[in-house]
Amino acid sequence: MTAPLLEISNISKRFGGLAALSNVSAEVHRGEIVGLIGPNGAGKTTLFSTLVGLHRPTSGAIRLNGRDLVGLKPHKIAAAGMVKTFQNIALFLDSTVLDNVLTGGLMRHSVEEARILARQCLERVGIDHIAGKLARDLSFPERARVEVARALCTEPEILLLDEAMAALNHVEMDEFLSLLRDLRDEGLTLVVVEHHMRAIMSLCERIVVLNFGQLIATGTPQEISRNPAVVQAYLGRSAETGAH
Amino acid sequence: MILGMTSRKAVFVAVVLAIALVLPFTIDPRGYTIRILCLMLLFAAMGQAWNIVGGLANQMSLGHAAFFGIGAYTSTLLLIHFGISPWIGMIAAGIFGGVAAFVISLPTMRLRGHYFALATLAFGEVMRVIGNSWSSLTGGPVGVSVPFAKPSLAMFQFKDTLPYYFLMLAALIVVTIIFVAIQRSRIGYRLQAIKENVDAAEVIGVDTTRTKIFAAVVSGVLMGCLGTFYAQFQYFFDPDTVFGVASISVRVAMIAIVGGIGTAIGPILGAMFVIPMEELANQAFSAQAAGLAQLVFGALLIVVILVEPRGFVEFGRRMVRRFRKGASR
Repeated sequence: MTAPLLEISNISKRFGGLAALSNVSAEVHRGEIVGLIGPNGAGKTTLFSTLVGLHRPTSGAIRLNGRDLVGLKPHKIAAAGMVKTFQNIALFLDSTVLDNVLTGGLMRHSVEEARILARQCLERVGIDHIAGKLARDLSFPERARVEVARALCTEPEILLLDEAMAALNHVEMDEFLSLLRDLRDEGLTLVVVEHHMRAIMSLCERIVVLNFGQLIATGTPQEISRNPAVVQAYLGRSAETGAH
Repeated sequence: MILGMTSRKAVFVAVVLAIALVLPFTIDPRGYTIRILCLMLLFAAMGQAWNIVGGLANQMSLGHAAFFGIGAYTSTLLLIHFGISPWIGMIAAGIFGGVAAFVISLPTMRLRGHYFALATLAFGEVMRVIGNSWSSLTGGPVGVSVPFAKPSLAMFQFKDTLPYYFLMLAALIVVTIIFVAIQRSRIGYRLQAIKENVDAAEVIGVDTTRTKIFAAVVSGVLMGCLGTFYAQFQYFFDPDTVFGVASISVRVAMIAIVGGIGTAIGPILGAMFVIPMEELANQAFSAQAAGLAQLVFGALLIVVILVEPRGFVEFGRRMVRRFRKGASR
């Protein structure tokens, strides 16, 4: 097998006395769709934020195409090809949808080029009809799609999606899943945090499971659904919380 | 489309420019009114320069007097000691203003909101104290006078006020063009992104640090150059005036805010209101009691901000919306 696109080695992140991530190691290969799951507070969002440089890991290494990313600012990591969307939606609310997305394209393009690219991204995500609306006037599902379009407009090699499907209904979700598969077929690598098990199971080739900041399992969807530690983490959480 | 403006906007700008060009010929060229108009244009330009940092980046600087005062002293001292033309002095003034802005932006860049405002306020005050105490350089609290030269464009000195008027107008136009060019460029989009969500901006590839420094430096350069304009216009100034919080820092911020922060026309409207109102209040009330004029002027400003916190531009937009709604009914 070729060298991994993204290589996470023994990443730990402490916030004061709290260990948000402890010795997490994982690999993502080019062209994969990897699911990242775990109960609330497992450290999924912290891991994403650490990967894109919003947090600096307390220890460990992150390599993208073999290049060490630890200590780089987020915009450098974006330039290297890794971008994330925000779980709580971080749009530029007083800007139009088009301007939101366009800003993502400015890293590599002029304003005019970025505008054309942004239109394509909006079309891709199926929201070109709202290009002129202000982001603050959008519904939650629309906002989530703008997040994705804006991230796509940076032309990433690897895209980290943090619950981008949270507010979608069944039809929308199926559309979205097929969009992600198409993007993957075009060469994009995806890491997806999602609570919707049906979506994760049908979408991902490989799943990584976090619990209390530790990696407890990694494998195919079938392997993960039969893994006792995972079942324990999801079902036995109340019993375990007492022990912590 | 002309220069990226819609034709309606272009017509509007042309009409306003025509009025601005004809207006001074209708009044006494050595009188008091034209001096007020000059100050109005100068302060509009200063508000516009502030608007790059305060409006586009949403960094509420209350220390812009620092760059302004540095500019005023730079060209004036070069003129006094070396006989250098204020135009060349203005280039030096811009450079020093920009360097000062760069230096202050490094430690303050990460500060947001009130903290940024307070830090820049302190910087302006430090400059004022330095200006007052370093007497061997600045002449101290006594102030400095611009030495008289034979009136000419080359020495930036004129007998009449009229040439100053046109130079101030030119300065305002140049600063406004720079503002609009930045607003529409990549930098403008990046500043907008920074203003709305710094983390998201970084994650999608905006170098927030560099972008903020760029805005601060351009603003500082322009403020420095405008300091030279002020010095050549007033012939005399002291540290408390050019480095003053109320006289410069707060006033330029207020002009942009009252007019419409982050818009090209905002500081122009703001200056058209603030500078004449201040003068009128002075004329009407300064004879009655000390400070009464300022009190009346302050009260007036409070009313304006209470009615429309986002400035005249937003007020205008609201009126247009209401009018259109009414018309479509």
